[in-house]
Amino acid sequence: MTDYAALFTSAQEMDEVSRRSFLKLLGASMALAGVDGCTRMPAEKILQYVEQPPEVTPGVASHYATAFSMDGYATGLVVDSHEGRPTKIEGNPLHPASLGASTAQQQASLLQLYDPDRGRRIVQDGRASSWDAWAAEWTPSVARSRVGSRGEGLHLLLEPTSSPTVASLLDKLRGMYPGMGVYFYSPAGPATMPGGASLAQYDLSAADVIVCFDADPLATGPMSLAYARQFADGRRHPATRMNRLYVAEPAYTCTGMAADDRLRCRPAVVQGLLERVYASVSHGGASGAGAVSSGFGDGADAWLTNVLADIESHRGRVVVIAGDRLGPQGQALAAAINGAIGATGSLVWTTPSPLLGAGDAGSNLAKLKEALDANAVSSLVCIGGNAVYRSPGSLRLGDGIRRVAHSTYVGLHADETSQASHWYVPLAHYLESWGDARAYDGTLSVVQPLVQPLFGARQEVEVLSALAGEAAADPFTVVRSNWQSAGHAASDDAWSEVLRKGVLEGSAYPRGASGRSDSVASAVGRTGGPGLRPVEDHPDGIDVIFAADARVHDGRFSNTAWLQELPDPITKLTWGNAGLLSPATARRLGVATGDVVAIERAGGSMRIPVIVSPGHADNVLALSFGYGRAGAESVARGIGANAYEIWPAVGTFVATDATVRSAGAHRQLAITQSHWSMDARDPAQSLSLAEYQRKTPAPARKRQLSLYQPDAPNGVAAQQWAMTIDLGNCIGCSACVVACQAENNIPVVGPDDVRKSREMHWLRIDRYLDGAENDPAVSLQPMLCQQCEKAPCEYVCPVGAATHSADGLNEMVYNRCVGTRFCSNNCPYKVRRFNWFDYNAELAETERMAKNPDVTVRERGVMEKCTFCVQRIREAEISSQVDGRALRGSEVVTACAQACPTRAIVFGSLTDPGSEVVTSRADARAYQVLEELGTEPRVQYLARIRNARAAEEQA
Amino acid sequence: MRDRDWPAGSFAAEFADANALVAAVRSLRARGYSGIETYSPMPLPELDATLRFRKSRLPALVFVGGVAGGAISYFIQWYADVYAYPLNLGGRPVNAVTAFIIPTFEGTILGAALVAFFGLWFVLRLPTYWHSVFDLPGFERATVDRYWVAVSGEDARAGAEVTPNELRALGALRVVVLDGAEDAGAAGGVGLEGAR
Amino acid sequence: MNDRVLLHGNAGDAALTDSLLAPLWRTPSLWWMLFVVSCAGTVLFVFSIYWTIAKGIGTWGNNIPVAWAFAITDFVWWIGIGHAGTFISAFLLLLNQKWRGSVNRVAEAMTIFALVNAAMFPLLHLGRPWFFYWLAPYPATMGVWPNFKSSLPWDVAAVTTYFTVSLLFWYMGLVPDLASARDRAVSRARKLAYGIFALGWRGSGYQWQRYRIAYVLLAALATPLVISVHSVVSLDFAIAQLPGWHSTIFPPYFVVGAIYSGLAMVLMLLIPLRRAFHFEDVITEAHLDRIAKLMLAMGLMLAYSYAMETFMAWYSGDHFERYTYLFSRPFGPYAVLYWIMTALNVLTPNIFWSRRLRRSTPALFIASFGILIGMWLERFAIIVTSLNRDFLPSSWHFYAPSWVDFGLLAGSIGLFGMLFLLFIRYVPTVALSEVKRLRLELANEAAGEVAGA
Repeated sequence: MTDYAALFTSAQEMDEVSRRSFLKLLGASMALAGVDGCTRMPAEKILQYVEQPPEVTPGVASHYATAFSMDGYATGLVVDSHEGRPTKIEGNPLHPASLGASTAQQQASLLQLYDPDRGRRIVQDGRASSWDAWAAEWTPSVARSRVGSRGEGLHLLLEPTSSPTVASLLDKLRGMYPGMGVYFYSPAGPATMPGGASLAQYDLSAADVIVCFDADPLATGPMSLAYARQFADGRRHPATRMNRLYVAEPAYTCTGMAADDRLRCRPAVVQGLLERVYASVSHGGASGAGAVSSGFGDGADAWLTNVLADIESHRGRVVVIAGDRLGPQGQALAAAINGAIGATGSLVWTTPSPLLGAGDAGSNLAKLKEALDANAVSSLVCIGGNAVYRSPGSLRLGDGIRRVAHSTYVGLHADETSQASHWYVPLAHYLESWGDARAYDGTLSVVQPLVQPLFGARQEVEVLSALAGEAAADPFTVVRSNWQSAGHAASDDAWSEVLRKGVLEGSAYPRGASGRSDSVASAVGRTGGPGLRPVEDHPDGIDVIFAADARVHDGRFSNTAWLQELPDPITKLTWGNAGLLSPATARRLGVATGDVVAIERAGGSMRIPVIVSPGHADNVLALSFGYGRAGAESVARGIGANAYEIWPAVGTFVATDATVRSAGAHRQLAITQSHWSMDARDPAQSLSLAEYQRKTPAPARKRQLSLYQPDAPNGVAAQQWAMTIDLGNCIGCSACVVACQAENNIPVVGPDDVRKSREMHWLRIDRYLDGAENDPAVSLQPMLCQQCEKAPCEYVCPVGAATHSADGLNEMVYNRCVGTRFCSNNCPYKVRRFNWFDYNAELAETERMAKNPDVTVRERGVMEKCTFCVQRIREAEISSQVDGRALRGSEVVTACAQACPTRAIVFGSLTDPGSEVVTSRADARAYQVLEELGTEPRVQYLARIRNARAAEEQA
Repeated sequence: MRDRDWPAGSFAAEFADANALVAAVRSLRARGYSGIETYSPMPLPELDATLRFRKSRLPALVFVGGVAGGAISYFIQWYADVYAYPLNLGGRPVNAVTAFIIPTFEGTILGAALVAFFGLWFVLRLPTYWHSVFDLPGFERATVDRYWVAVSGEDARAGAEVTPNELRALGALRVVVLDGAEDAGAAGGVGLEGAR
Repeated sequence: MNDRVLLHGNAGDAALTDSLLAPLWRTPSLWWMLFVVSCAGTVLFVFSIYWTIAKGIGTWGNNIPVAWAFAITDFVWWIGIGHAGTFISAFLLLLNQKWRGSVNRVAEAMTIFALVNAAMFPLLHLGRPWFFYWLAPYPATMGVWPNFKSSLPWDVAAVTTYFTVSLLFWYMGLVPDLASARDRAVSRARKLAYGIFALGWRGSGYQWQRYRIAYVLLAALATPLVISVHSVVSLDFAIAQLPGWHSTIFPPYFVVGAIYSGLAMVLMLLIPLRRAFHFEDVITEAHLDRIAKLMLAMGLMLAYSYAMETFMAWYSGDHFERYTYLFSRPFGPYAVLYWIMTALNVLTPNIFWSRRLRRSTPALFIASFGILIGMWLERFAIIVTSLNRDFLPSSWHFYAPSWVDFGLLAGSIGLFGMLFLLFIRYVPTVALSEVKRLRLELANEAAGEVAGA
């Protein structure tokens, strides 16, 4: 309990918090009582999201469209708001980068809004100051005196942005300070790589074969939600159509786990294989017949042979994707291959990058570093991004910034960068800000706030306006007028339309042909991409590879407890990061999971516990960014290790010059799944396409749906709720887990209790590894309450707190539960969760505001578990009664199903013939986990199909 | 016979050991005495036949108690889970006889045991903290190592001359007059001792 | 013949009574030492309970999947110990075993105190202990009732019944001895106290005769309880479908184990007791010998149960069963405890094939100690090693107890000790009337033999 307190309360702020939040809560409650004007609705007129596609569950909450930006690319969201409190985030079905789905980070950004550790006051050199004082120091009339006549002393460091409004404000500033330096920086993504001015896009739904070279299109990057959906559509009905996914990568990614044929190999080998493919396709057609020798070993040969054969046999329906780690050359090669195999145009095209300064090397962080070293910076303004922490340790950016006479950091938290700056100004959360942003494909959205800044924070637009001398500028007016002057949605009606839909229709960029062939020449023939050395040079040397963390990304979410406690999709690790090693390499280094290794590079050194990961490439150590924080954030502080310390350079994600050795220490990692083999129990089934076709059409199920005749004391309702989960389309992204946590007020327990296996997630994603340790078969299985019709948990409850409803729900009556925990013991799926402590007692008042008012907050000592989002079911029932119509099963969508990017989760009523949940059960892939126990689960799974070419040939 | 507060003219005799008492009681019975009662630190089943106790109703009461206990506990379960608060629990039958058997069994035993326990004290009229025999000098050893027999004054053969002599002849250490009256017992006792 | 003597010496009834009542009047310093220790244990118990209720079950080591662990192990262990009392007094009474008289009082007291402990653990174990009464069928304003399909209300019924009947049986047996104590007590206060509880018993023939009827009736009622209680406790596990719990062998298997551990505890109490208060004349080697023989029999039956459940797991061909019994227990994370358990429970009693060891108090004491540990470990193995690896490997997780778990176990032992010490200090520890009766009968037997010779 105490550790939990430490997690969530920052003592020095408590009085402040309670006072503010008391007023806020008072406001909220009075609003409930019907008194207007006390909520925190923004003063401006924001418009409700009325065009509700069927996917969106209607309810009492109002829904507002806005946009979430990460690394500069926007994803459209729809946010539920209760009495002016944002309580749940969903994807915007109309937005090309969301299609109604959302990522774990987008879900969790809600909790970030309410983070009590967010900056609360403007600070100058450690003393509380005021907006006016700050503006007075930075207003042009004052600033000019120190930044030189052309303003060459003034430098701005922003996160990558695609906001037209920011662009226009920057132009305005350039008008005042022609010599001003503007830089855009975020560690992840190719934002400012040379050649980044145009971006490749894919249509994976039309592709029969997808070949990924160290790329993770399904779960990382600005288009992951769209790509995941497209990928899933290509295999949703395997009887009719089934695509094939090839992946060559050093460390597992979600895409790698979904692959039909995956090759584990070092980055240099990935590069080499890419070149082999290019070489073979560029010489008029791959040598589809016969085995190919790659020179990288048998596994690589077999993989390459299959890839080339499939490219040959599926010309025009193959997409090749190269990951960021391969650098521009890799991108160029992939583009060239796609051109050569006829994918370009139909499956692959390019659009200009929506990012400001894309492709302009002059806006790189390196340039700012040069200016700092030259002491050419007299005034520096950093807006967001926490560059001091997120930049390579060898850059010593903090020292540079400390030397600047006048520096300001504007950020969500008082973090490492604010520590290096004179001024700190709290930055408003995107749910508190007016703004705009473009999606990856250029689609333009308005960012509209749902609440006024909780902690009196300042919006990006405000800050930039203030730098231009307009400290009092109203962000809404700035954005709106900018749109008008730009000719977007000039009329009020058009504007309202954009606010309603969340997108400006037709604003996507026109598609261009693949524009990389120019650079192919330079790419081909060079062995090794940036920082890659041919393997043969150092067979035993260890490549250290870097990537943004799957949970806290580059560290921007490291103070968000939902993401800290979210199990990593690959390792199931919570509350920290670890270095991933292959079993063989771990043996060579003499370390096991939990043992700490010391990594040394010329640039720096770090210590981090390792996790031995089967299927990981030998001699590769995989690190993730975002941990080892030293800022003022109480959740993040002291969690994990900081990989930026040894990060060689921006844009380079491989370090080949590191030495790794055991440090002799051991840490008990907070991993939620300790046993990774299915142990011949086969809960997560899979089969080859051929086997599946043999089983199709499925034999009629023996048992009919039981409606509890004759003994149904609570009657039988018109709806019989059920769920189907397609394991073939689960990529493990874990959006459902956080969505469930947000929807159902699931508490965070903290690292100590996770180590004790007390995490509270109602929905977990089991991840099994079976077979050879070097090439295991990965099985992913979202596991939640199976809502058994003959539930073992129910009859053992002495007080009847676990009962069965007339519409087939396995109900948990919190108020009646005395906490014998017999139900959990008798649950074969172990999906029940127990409140070992009062996990909600320590929440800051702001965090309480994030709770969903439709869901009970459970007290200490009671059981809880997945309810099939019963609150959404009842809400739909009520609204259908209000409308005086029958409820359609498809009207209800659970939080997990709504968030799922691949639509692997289908929910509905078994009494709704033709609905997807009913038809899916007729599929030959449909099965019940532990069916032999006779629990008759209402959740059924569709077995995953492993569509490897090898299996096909055997068949 | 059931020992009660003894009428005037009753006698009590103290014996040194159990065998002597048993022999004495048997011979008294043989001489036609009927109002006899013994006091001993241990049970003397040998005398059950001689003292002619009425058949005990306790076993019958206990049986009834058991049946009642069982019936009540099954009824509670039926009322709770079938009549008042029926629930669909794991699709199990609402009137789960097999499950209800166990508490029913326990209720049966409990009912019977309670009747046996309190029934005993009821038939023995205990607790009764005063009884005339407690006034007999030296009677406190009746729970330790001495064995007493009492003969009712209402007994046909009981006589102030005959009985004490007979008792002495049977080996009584001493014979005292046993009288319901507070003082008489002690006084009488002294008198007799003196006469000896 | 001599080695079967149940009563040494030929002191008169008075001397016998006084020697057996001696603990009531004088207190050896050993008693005070033990009392202080056990009080310290009780304090630890109370503090652990406070900590649990104040902070939550999270202060224990329990988790998901191991939602039951130490507390339930302690519960089953104590209940098991509580079996020997009624077994010895009721069972042996019906079987007309004369030797029971010298030891039944101690055994019954042990039963009651063990039950007091046992009953506490399920309550503490609740997530919301303050709602324990929701398991009882009472007309609640909420209109809700317990679910009698669950084995937990069965458990409540069984344990409360067993406790009540054991208490009545114990007290009924005490009444004549309380009368003796009343008549032997010197201080007025003691006279008064014993007098009140003796209910005015005067040992009339009528009282004795009715008393014998009632006592035998109670014994006859308590005997099936001995069988039923642990059978019902075993159903707490057997009605679940968890591999390692879901087994029809459980009821007899649990009862045997219960009596086994109970007898061990009886020995651990008798041996110091007869030594400290010189009861060797009344509690003779013959008694220890008989108890040891019973333990040997129970131990062999338990060994058979172990073999059978393992065989059935293999014979069933069920993957989950086989994993639990053939891998998880013998080779899993708790394998060490499993093998210690097997060694202590299966091997130890075999020393009692030797008549010499059956009569050597050190051997008996150490063996009993080992068996008590072994039986605790058995319950731990059944509960924890079944739960920590059940159906889905994804949810498997190790369980490690916290200091509170240990505090509750040690503390409950302290409380048990304290109650028992108070018992021997204030209550006749040997059934006087029965011993005297036994003495009379032995004497008459002897006389008869003499006469016959």
